[in-house]
Amino acid sequence: MTEDRFEQLLGPYLLGELTAEEKRELEGHLEECSGCRDELARARKAHDLLRELAAGGLSPELKERVLARARGEIPARSRGGWRIWVPAAALLAIAFLCAGLLWTITKDSSKGISLAATAPSSEGGGEVSGEVEGGNLQIELVVWGLPELQKDEYYELWYAKEDGGRISCGTFRAQQAGKTTVNLTAPANAVSYPQIEVTREPDDGDPGSSGEKVLIGDLRRL
Amino acid sequence: MFGPVVRAVEDEELIRRVAEGDDRALSELYDRYSRPVYATGTRLLGDAHLAEELVQEAFMSIWRAAGSFDPGRASFATWLYRITRNRALDLNRRRQVRPFSAGEEPLRNVSGGPEPEGGVDGWDVARALSRIPEEHREVLTLAYFEGLSQREISRRTGVPLGTIKSRTTAALKRLHRSLVNPAAEESRRD
Repeated sequence: MTEDRFEQLLGPYLLGELTAEEKRELEGHLEECSGCRDELARARKAHDLLRELAAGGLSPELKERVLARARGEIPARSRGGWRIWVPAAALLAIAFLCAGLLWTITKDSSKGISLAATAPSSEGGGEVSGEVEGGNLQIELVVWGLPELQKDEYYELWYAKEDGGRISCGTFRAQQAGKTTVNLTAPANAVSYPQIEVTREPDDGDPGSSGEKVLIGDLRRL
Repeated sequence: MFGPVVRAVEDEELIRRVAEGDDRALSELYDRYSRPVYATGTRLLGDAHLAEELVQEAFMSIWRAAGSFDPGRASFATWLYRITRNRALDLNRRRQVRPFSAGEEPLRNVSGGPEPEGGVDGWDVARALSRIPEEHREVLTLAYFEGLSQREISRRTGVPLGTIKSRTTAALKRLHRSLVNPAAEESRRD
């Protein structure tokens, strides 16, 4: 048996996904190859540990509950001294709520902040509006004329600072024709960020920004 | 045999992003570590419902306190394990305020966690998974945690079935190496 053939069969063998014929082929080889038996033993150890870890029965809804709670709360940014920051955070939360309310009041809710296209999407544009609800910033984003995405790409809306600090408000895909409206959520403290951006992101598992901006807006103009 | 390996984002980079309010980084850390937190909860508290509460409390704690994490003092896994134990103690104290109902037990004294106290446990596996390349972690996550067949993984990822089969084998071997020799795996990342 070639090494490539062995590699193709070993993982599926442990997962119980070989046909009877493939199983006979692999087991026949294992009987005569001690090196491959050692490989099997090592892979089986990892397999058993993964099975054990997966057997916990964690409910899928729990993650959504955790993330929903997180989005409703403001993470601490400083190192240490959390006891001092608990009352400060409470005051800040009130301040953010007031800021959000002020933001909502001081603008016409039918008009949001305009998002201008960057060079790669010169025909695109957008408008974003929002209000603070229960510690969260509920955002309505309307976009149009954005570049066509590949299958494994998406757009992401961010609140951003000059120093690179960012808060993600969520991801979306846009229709090619006409306007696309999406509703997103961010922590209430997002209102303290001076810029808003829409970036084009590869679906590579990296939660950071790609930096490929397609729309930008300036919240300081409010 | 394989295409370019996509390196995993390290736990410490993710927690830095959490400190900036990035909930996608929190989501990624949840995917990596919720299972050992839950397993620790069921072992310590002996109650599935309380273990789920522990998962929520532990991840909310890291959301709130991410800015206080110091990578010079401990790895992320060690930090989270300490948080998990402390939150489990809190939950147990709260439970003791009311009488035990049938089936409930006081906090169990168990070893484990990311400290080298014994054999391999869920924390070691989660930490080892976070160290291996993204494409390896992806096939293992889809196969073991989402229960997808090799064919389903191929469809989900758009990667040919033969490659998925070989990649699964390679991922299991890589995970084993990461478990038995984490230092070598760390240096391989550099």
